Amino acid sequence: MLRTRRSLVPLVLGVLFLPGSRLAGQAISQGFELERQGRLEPAAALYTSVLRADPANIPALLGLERVLPGLGRLRDLAPLVQAALAADSDAAIRGLAIRTWTAIGETDSAAATARRWAAGDPQDPAPWREWAIALEDHQRFDEARNVLIEGRHAMGRQDALAIEQAELAQRSGDWLAAALEWAAAVAAAPAQRDNAVAQLEDVPFDQQDRIARALTVPTATVAARRLAAELLVQWGQPERGWDVLVPTLDPPTPEGAQVLRRFAESARGTTPGTQRVRGLALARLADLLPEPLGSQTRAEAARALLDAGDRIAARAVLARLADDPAAAPDVQALAHTALVEALIDDGQLDSATASLERVDRDPRSSGSDRERLRHALVEAWMRSGRLDRAEAALGADSSVESSALRGWLRLYRGDLKLALDAFRSAGPYAGDRESATARTAALALLEQINAERSPELGAAMLALVRGDSSAAISGLRRAADRLKGDRGRPDVLLLAGQVASRMGESQQGTAIDLFEEVVRSDSGAAAPAAELEWSRLLVRQAKPRDAIAHLEHLILTYPMSAVVPDARRELERTKGAIPRS
Amino acid sequence: MRRREFVGTLGGVGSWVLGMEAFGSLRPFGSAAASLLIPMDEVQSDHLKAYGVAYRVIQAGAKVEWLLNYRGGAFLLPDGPAIRRDAALNGVTAEPLDDSSVGAVRGEIEGSNADAIPLEKAPKVAVYVPPNAQPWDDAVTMAMQYAGIPFEKLWDPEVLGTGLKGYDWIHLHHEDFTGQYSKFFLIYAGQPWVAEMAQFNEAARRRLGLANVPEMKKAVARTIREYVANGGFLFAMCTATETIDLALAAHDVDIAATYADGSPMDPAADGKLDWTQTFAFTGAHLEADPQIASFSDIDGHQVNAGPRRQPLGAFKLFNFSAKIDPVPTMLVQNHRDVIPDFYGLTTSFLRTRLKTGVTVLADEAGAPWVKYIHGDLGKGTWSFFGGHDPEDPQHQIGDPPTDLSLHPHSPGYRLILNNVLFPAAKKRELKT
Repeated sequence: MLRTRRSLVPLVLGVLFLPGSRLAGQAISQGFELERQGRLEPAAALYTSVLRADPANIPALLGLERVLPGLGRLRDLAPLVQAALAADSDAAIRGLAIRTWTAIGETDSAAATARRWAAGDPQDPAPWREWAIALEDHQRFDEARNVLIEGRHAMGRQDALAIEQAELAQRSGDWLAAALEWAAAVAAAPAQRDNAVAQLEDVPFDQQDRIARALTVPTATVAARRLAAELLVQWGQPERGWDVLVPTLDPPTPEGAQVLRRFAESARGTTPGTQRVRGLALARLADLLPEPLGSQTRAEAARALLDAGDRIAARAVLARLADDPAAAPDVQALAHTALVEALIDDGQLDSATASLERVDRDPRSSGSDRERLRHALVEAWMRSGRLDRAEAALGADSSVESSALRGWLRLYRGDLKLALDAFRSAGPYAGDRESATARTAALALLEQINAERSPELGAAMLALVRGDSSAAISGLRRAADRLKGDRGRPDVLLLAGQVASRMGESQQGTAIDLFEEVVRSDSGAAAPAAELEWSRLLVRQAKPRDAIAHLEHLILTYPMSAVVPDARRELERTKGAIPRS
Repeated sequence: MRRREFVGTLGGVGSWVLGMEAFGSLRPFGSAAASLLIPMDEVQSDHLKAYGVAYRVIQAGAKVEWLLNYRGGAFLLPDGPAIRRDAALNGVTAEPLDDSSVGAVRGEIEGSNADAIPLEKAPKVAVYVPPNAQPWDDAVTMAMQYAGIPFEKLWDPEVLGTGLKGYDWIHLHHEDFTGQYSKFFLIYAGQPWVAEMAQFNEAARRRLGLANVPEMKKAVARTIREYVANGGFLFAMCTATETIDLALAAHDVDIAATYADGSPMDPAADGKLDWTQTFAFTGAHLEADPQIASFSDIDGHQVNAGPRRQPLGAFKLFNFSAKIDPVPTMLVQNHRDVIPDFYGLTTSFLRTRLKTGVTVLADEAGAPWVKYIHGDLGKGTWSFFGGHDPEDPQHQIGDPPTDLSLHPHSPGYRLILNNVLFPAAKKRELKT
């Protein structure tokens, strides 16, 4: 300690001999350095020495405010603050005075200083803000709230000091009050919306609904509703947010466009709901923007709506884009293509056919795009059961993919031999992996059947592709009955069993009957495959012992079957010998 | 046949196969061959499950011969429908041999570096494993589960309570016997699995009334040592190899960090370690930093020690004389003799840290470390195998479990299963 005092004396003397402001500036810098080193005592002495020459030196006063509490000497600041106030009425000094009086318990002095300051400029929120914050810093929340209420009353505006009220409410856990204050603040200053959303994002889940309702009561302001809309997106309720936002957008205004842009920006998530409202907001925004910004935004909206799976909304946007002469050619071509896809997905196949014809005529569209769309349309016609329309859409296309599609068409018509030929000519690689796998499975089935025609099997397969599993099962059974004596009969029954086993509990009995029939009657490849499916079904039914028995029977009875490796792996899993993957 | 009857029949057959009574009536199979040869060379379709088939035959009371250095360490079993069935179900290749073929095999064995070791008693196996361990945490558990070899689990309360009497073979899960939670306590602080590990150990310590977890682990290590000295078989992998020796050497020294026992490691611990008590190692230096997940300089690879970490190579199995050294020969039976290395918290063992008399079963040519070692202690024997999972070379925390059905020929896992069957060998044959 002695060494510290000795070293301080020349330092302070040196400072005193320097001229005016330069002296003060250097002293403050040295004070900061001493603070940084944790040497609070010499820092305080240095700041005090500066104030002797310049009682209203704000950096010195603030320096003392920082270091004196650490030395347990905050009260030493009081006379210095008094002297500073006598010399200058700067807002920083007044704020410091309020904080100092509050910290040392001189409540009346703090109040007097704040009120005197406010009386000088009744519309200035600073005195009330400083006073309230000083109280908050000492956990005196109720008093702080009273100060803000007094300030709001004094200023004569209901939205005055709203941000301070909101932060105070949030600090004391009153999220509802905080939200209402933020709504008021945003109404007065729309630029505060970012802050409001950022602060209210953290509202606990169990309070979100109450707050959303409070912000959207019939008497709520437009600003409050828009704030609620954005918050709902942040809280994972994008659709509800959009529903809240829409009524605030009429009549269209430039501010409304900004709101839409903000809303679309905030809805940047990957869930379908978020993507959908983003698309809807962008579509609405596009109507408010000049070209070419409008068509660009519309294209973005269509993409978001397609990603969200809202084909209907996407189609409306795409139709506008496709007809928009102001849209760039590539955007328009893309819109035409996407429109056909949307119409197909939406089941509007006549419109899709007409749109595809337009794409066909458009020289900007690529051949591969046209072919892809045509094949998608053929598949859609098949799924709708309109085989004649599918055939017409396919036309004279001679590509490998078209051979595959032609195979399905022939199969659905019951022309098994012709279907087999078409599948063989398509080969194993046409289309994507999923369609190639389905085609290979169909090919394997057809190769087992001797009959050249089976309208029953065709109808059953068509029912299957149309998603009518029940009709498919009974159709496959009927087809199997007609194929008595045909070596492909067990395979048809196996397929029926596979369909039934995937239909949930209601059809599990049917599935087991079918598998049992195949296992009992077949000596070919269908029996082990049926037994494997049977055992998998038993595992799903939580009957591992029965499943193990079937798997063992399969492995021992059909050691050369292609399904034995699968069966062995299933057996290991069922026994718990390997992890479930 | 109605469905119910059909299922009933299958169920009966299934349980018959699953139960060990399956092999109760071993007899010649009509005009079938006298023996079944389970080849263990490249012909075998599932090397790991082959051990399970052999184990179950021994368990059923029949004699199995382990044909050391013959076709990758083949098994010769009596022929019978139940055994054929077991092999078929498990996808294990089995070749029927008539008497004259068996004679030819024996002649070939006689005239080469090979031998036939009778396996007579299915060892009763215990795995030392914490109660919260997943079935797929440990290579040995996985191997036995996959091969269908039964085992019982025990942990500190069981070891210190009822002891290891009644077990022929014990495997140590990758336990840290220094009681420092694999030194993950500080490195992974806050992770739920670390908290759970500490919680289980603390609960066991309280139950056993011991001062702290490191003291508990030392007591367990001493009990295991006693078990081996009295004739038990010990197999350890990964951290358990290194730390059980450190725990034994540190019987009167604090080698644990403050977080583990409330006091810092004795700064002079290195000089106070008593290596006369250990299985395999001597003269090691401890890693004093609690933030480095390494225990000493026994491990050559130092996987978690930053700049000290060494890359993985491949290790080579030694070729022993089957007729003179049947024990090490059994332990290295394999269809491959060079195997890719794999990390563990302890991956390998520095040659300079091995005690005199330790048999090296596999090493990396030119490297200062060895991979697989074996030795005797009193009436028993032990094997230490560095690394964690032979089919997961890096073994990062959070990796998915190894599915052994995708590695049915794993030479690394074969070494583990050699150890499981080794105690089944007829006692007289074990004296080398």
